[in-house]
Amino acid sequence: MTTRRVFATAFAAVFVLVFAGTAGGYHTRFVALNCNYASPTPTSYITRDGSAAVALRARHEGYQWAGGCWNDNDKDDSPNDPTTDAGTGGEGGDCSGFTFKVWREPLNTSDPSFHQWGMLRSVHGPYTAAAFKAGAGAPNVTASKSSLIKMDALASESHIGLVYAANPDGTDQIIEAKGEAYGTGIWTRTHRGSSSYGGVRRVGWS
Amino acid sequence: MRYRGLTRSAATYGIVGSLAGGLAAVATISIVASAIAQSTPATRGVLDVTHSPALLRAPSDPAQLVYDAHCAATGVEDPEAPCHVAGSVFVREPGSPTFREIPLEQVEVGRARLEASLPGDLVTRPALEYFAVITSQDARATVTVPAAGAAAPTVSHRLDRPVSVALGRHRFGEAQRVGEQVASAHWGDGPYEIGLEEGRTSNPIGASSFDVAAGGSVVVLDHANRKLLRWSRGSRQPERTPVSVNGTIADIAVAQDGSYYVLETTSRDDRNPLVRRFDDAGRELEAVETAEGGPAQILMGPDGPLVLQRPSHHWMPVLVAGVPASQAAQRSRGRGGRRLQAGGEVVVHRVWNELRLALLVGGSITRSWRITSETPLGEVQLAERLGDRFVVVLRIYDDHADEFAVLQLDRHGLRSRTYVASAEWAEGAPLGRFRVAGTQLYRLGTSPSGVFVDRFSLEVR
Repeated sequence: MTTRRVFATAFAAVFVLVFAGTAGGYHTRFVALNCNYASPTPTSYITRDGSAAVALRARHEGYQWAGGCWNDNDKDDSPNDPTTDAGTGGEGGDCSGFTFKVWREPLNTSDPSFHQWGMLRSVHGPYTAAAFKAGAGAPNVTASKSSLIKMDALASESHIGLVYAANPDGTDQIIEAKGEAYGTGIWTRTHRGSSSYGGVRRVGWS
Repeated sequence: MRYRGLTRSAATYGIVGSLAGGLAAVATISIVASAIAQSTPATRGVLDVTHSPALLRAPSDPAQLVYDAHCAATGVEDPEAPCHVAGSVFVREPGSPTFREIPLEQVEVGRARLEASLPGDLVTRPALEYFAVITSQDARATVTVPAAGAAAPTVSHRLDRPVSVALGRHRFGEAQRVGEQVASAHWGDGPYEIGLEEGRTSNPIGASSFDVAAGGSVVVLDHANRKLLRWSRGSRQPERTPVSVNGTIADIAVAQDGSYYVLETTSRDDRNPLVRRFDDAGRELEAVETAEGGPAQILMGPDGPLVLQRPSHHWMPVLVAGVPASQAAQRSRGRGGRRLQAGGEVVVHRVWNELRLALLVGGSITRSWRITSETPLGEVQLAERLGDRFVVVLRIYDDHADEFAVLQLDRHGLRSRTYVASAEWAEGAPLGRFRVAGTQLYRLGTSPSGVFVDRFSLEVR
């Protein structure tokens, strides 16, 4: 075998192996390829309408357990990630990461101020659904479920979704990062009446 | 020196070739990834309108229509940046050839809420029809609500002489015990078990919904395991039918011919969810894409299945003249009320702790009720005609407990009321918990151990 042929064979073999291995796992590398760790922008106020806009830009995007980074191309760029692996780096938030970003909270749990995170900023925040349900953190308080209005939240021990609109049949439209098979979207839910859910509210809305 | 038949020089070339190949692959991937990242469009404009339709108006209600127009300008990520919206409501009396245009006004500059006051001469009419068109130049989008506009406007009926029913303050914990259990299955992935989507470590989601077929068979949709379980009347062992659903929360309705209509609530590839029809062997006969992205419930109507679709809040047919309906055909036949197999049309409208209910025949209210409660009211799970009575199942809740009230109404008021436990350990289709067949009420329940269906008699002594 000539040295030239050895070089070409080795080059081709490793190129194919590396490319196939990495590209084959592309759907689990959304964060690595697209997201950033930029500092959030402190803001002096937030409105429910503004938070609705943040949430609507995440609509139709993906879901990632422990995630919090998405674009707004209206498709899940990381479909079918394994549901039991928090480290796949796929697109989207999970339910509590989505709520954290939509409510524009700081990482410091004793700080109730407002921080605008970019869509492509990868951040989950310090709260689980159960922590939100308990009203943990200075920005969050529990609230009577019957008093909840747009962009307040309904949280159980394992899930949280935001009230988007009331329906005439008494259900709510909830905007939520639901799960890998669902992505992030708006669905009709009956969480308000369910005793496994409690009401949670972001403090300081203008 | 030789390495497995290669000279030192050839081995060196091999190693260098491998390194070069690896570096080239990484560089190629980086370039491709960068191109993908840069091809992701800048922030898109957003315009989404919510409106809770005034399906049943009390004379004391404000004569206003309210819309929330959520807007974010194209190319601007700051969610608090200005995004201007404008629009009009178009209103007419049913039968009138033309709509009157009423400009929507912003309640507060920079906020999403828009309002329009209804003309005094129309507010006093028994019914009016309306739709809204809202535009944002900043978001480069226009939204019509309901989606078909003039072809299928919202119909708002005035409740002039409803029968009043006061439920008072509810005492939790006095729910009726189980009538009769007619079906049950454990959680699991076995052939006669029912699956939880992601096992027991996540938010439990399973046993989406159920229906009662002709002859009294109970059919439960196990969406997680993509199958139906069917219990024939009196049988403890179900029959199993695999179905090719997409594995997320879904609702089911069984047709008179024995076929199953499954309404999925999620979809991929920027399409709306599907209604899939299966025969009794589980073969998929057809799939119909819903007209809107947020379908909530499927029930059989007099001419086939009807789907409650959002954001229009309209019941739309899946079939027109027996064949699958296009999205435009669904939209243009949408109605705020649901046509009943027992005849007429039912309209439900919950306003805080009050439920308004009307039976329409020929488009006009023939009977109506206003049900008030001192304890918060949740969703209306069921509203069906039963002879000269109406059966309504609605949730009553506070911050610690919830139960379902089963109310039977007649032209004089409340004929009977019963409370049943919510029995909702796992999440399923939002409005898939109750069904009526004959004079029996069926309830789908879940517990940490499994799924069950109970049957209650609705006979009134």
